[in-house]
Amino acid sequence: MPKIKIAKKSPSLDMTPMVDLAFLLVTFFMLTTKFRPDEPVIVDQPSSISDIPLPDKGVIMITVDKNGRVFFNVEGQQIRIDILNKMAERFNLTFDDKEKKRFAVLASVGMPMSDMKAYLDASDNDRKKMNLETKGIPIDSTNNELNFWINAARNVAPRFSLAIRGDRDADIPSIKRVISILQDNKANRFALITNLEGAGVVEEPKN
Amino acid sequence: MAQVQEQEGGQEKGKHKKVRAKRSSTHIDMTPMVDLGFLLLTFFILTTTFSKPKTMDITMPVKDKVTEEEKTKVPASQTMSVLLTADDKIVWYMGEDDPTKPPETHVADFSQDGPASIRKVLLEKNKLVFDKVKQVEDSVRNGLIPDKEDEIKRHKAQVKAAEKKGLIVLIKPDDSSKYKNLVDILDEMLVCNVARYAIVDLSDSEKELIKNSQQ
Repeated sequence: MPKIKIAKKSPSLDMTPMVDLAFLLVTFFMLTTKFRPDEPVIVDQPSSISDIPLPDKGVIMITVDKNGRVFFNVEGQQIRIDILNKMAERFNLTFDDKEKKRFAVLASVGMPMSDMKAYLDASDNDRKKMNLETKGIPIDSTNNELNFWINAARNVAPRFSLAIRGDRDADIPSIKRVISILQDNKANRFALITNLEGAGVVEEPKN
Repeated sequence: MAQVQEQEGGQEKGKHKKVRAKRSSTHIDMTPMVDLGFLLLTFFILTTTFSKPKTMDITMPVKDKVTEEEKTKVPASQTMSVLLTADDKIVWYMGEDDPTKPPETHVADFSQDGPASIRKVLLEKNKLVFDKVKQVEDSVRNGLIPDKEDEIKRHKAQVKAAEKKGLIVLIKPDDSSKYKNLVDILDEMLVCNVARYAIVDLSDSEKELIKNSQQ
């Protein structure tokens, strides 16, 4: 009987194409990822059928969390420093360069100006704790700091659009108050940030 | 020059004593690198979120002192007031808010097609405009209007603005309602093609209406 010869095959495969593809994907994801600084509050946005995307740049964002606390955010480091300078001038405060730099790289801030210095000097962990305990930017008519923030931001960056990022369970009086402050600043057009209906909940960075 | 000299020196040495170059394979073990590559790939895939937040544009009126005569009068028959109240409930009525003659109120909710769905009410009241917008969509399908997004949007906006007899909705969120309710009702305005709507404060008599309707 003739012996059947089994062809000897090397067990190693050529993985080059797969590896090439993997690295291509790595490059793609590395270049497209934008790391956001930690948001101090978790906001569960309501959903809507509106599909207008939020512009990447040039948005002054006011966050209202479910307890009605108000936070303020603008992107752009130089712009943030300019705004902080304006606020410092108005409240007769001085911030040193280190504090300004710290402010420039933070995300939303929800501190009354009286606590701002302590907030910027605090360590990262302490800052997280302060974010949990803060009452947000004051919006009462007697102590309307949000008004000054918006005013400063509009002065520094007049072309920026305004957006309100509210939590589903935020109470109407706070929202109305924020809208009214925007109107006081002659900002009558603004956007409400929502999720696309059926798109599920966008993951928020957890603190 | 220096290089050439070195080479010559090397050759001469070779004549005396043969140096056998070690034969090493040109293959490098790439496994660790590939492992790392995949690790990074997994990390970036998991941390990337592609869904960008969407926005809903709203325009509020300029906040100036407006005298009673300057106020835009809206025909009462076309006006619908939608009061947002606690527990996702809606109280709505047609016509004017007249404390002396309380209007007939109805209760509705945010369901899409329940028995008390606000969408049904809005669609019915706004049939005039809604049908016209539908006609635009039909003519897109028939090729009368080019199938381009901004073109369609422009046509729809035109149709909406042209219809003077369309429904006017006054959205009045009560303090007990949530932000979610406000966004939901604004969403319904988009769905039902309501051309004219505004967010307005509640009057005292309307707070009374809410109380009465909940009993």
